[in-house]
Amino acid sequence: MPTRLYAVALVAFVLGLLITVQARVAGQPPGEILPAARVQELTAELRRLEEASAGLRREAGELEQKIAAAKQGQTQARAALQTEIEKYRIQAGLVPVVGPGVEVMIHNMPAGSLPGTEQYVFAVRDEDLLRVVNELWGAGAEAIAVNGQRLVSTSEIRLAGTFIDVNLQRITPPYTIVAIGDPDVLASALEIEGGVAEMLRAFGASCLIKKKDTVRIPAYEGTMAFQYARPIKEEVRG
Amino acid sequence: MWLGISLTAVALIAGVIIGLNVPLFIPQIYGKYLGIAILAAIDSVFGGVRAGMEERFDNAIFVSGFVSNTLLAAGLVFIGDRLGVELYTAAVVAFGVRLFQNLAAIRRKLIKK
Repeated sequence: MPTRLYAVALVAFVLGLLITVQARVAGQPPGEILPAARVQELTAELRRLEEASAGLRREAGELEQKIAAAKQGQTQARAALQTEIEKYRIQAGLVPVVGPGVEVMIHNMPAGSLPGTEQYVFAVRDEDLLRVVNELWGAGAEAIAVNGQRLVSTSEIRLAGTFIDVNLQRITPPYTIVAIGDPDVLASALEIEGGVAEMLRAFGASCLIKKKDTVRIPAYEGTMAFQYARPIKEEVRG
Repeated sequence: MWLGISLTAVALIAGVIIGLNVPLFIPQIYGKYLGIAILAAIDSVFGGVRAGMEERFDNAIFVSGFVSNTLLAAGLVFIGDRLGVELYTAAVVAFGVRLFQNLAAIRRKLIKK
């Protein structure tokens, strides 16, 4: 029966083919092949590591964002600190400033301008200057200089012999007081009836008040060293 | 009879030679399926030999048994892998038992002759 023989031969052929292929696969050197369990294990590990890698990459991205934010914050903080420092330097009088204000010229009465007078009948004293300065501060002046001496928190105006000292520097007449602030307010504070300008004129001194669009006030030139004063810490306060 | 044996032997050798020379490569992962398919095929062949000796060999049954056993065995292992159950072992045991039963039957026939 030929068909029967062919069928058996075909089956034998397929069987031989299968066995050989399988033998070749199974007979490979162990370096090239891996047991199925090991393959699954490695695949699982690979997947796990890929997930971990993705997670870490995400974390790295977040941290970089944080760093960028922190850097930005730092720059802003530094800029804010600079502005603060600049503000306090201006307030302390350590930088020259410019702005609208008034210029007050005070001069002793010239000798001989009144009959029978040889010398000054009235010399401008430290108290007069102090009064003027006080009036100006009170009228909202932001910076004041007397004959080029910037007034700071420790500045003194006092009589030393026949001269007036400001910031330990001797100043001589005529006295020029420059103040930055609202020119109208400053001028009117001095010119008010019964005020300091009127008083000076009554005593015979000349007092000339000029409103100016821009006046320049120099910086304080002395040193500021605090030898005794210390800031009070929070916990000491109670 | 001898024509059949020689033809079968020639076909087997031809299969082996082609299998050795064909650059066909099956990944190691599928080696398990092929192995169980080969076991099923061997079982079918011994079943066919036994049927031939008992004078009740049927061509259709033989060929269909060969094909279906092979595919079913590989499929069973595949399903087992997907379900996480070691059906592989079950298939090996089942085919092994049948193989030895067929061999025993053939042995008895040969000795009783």
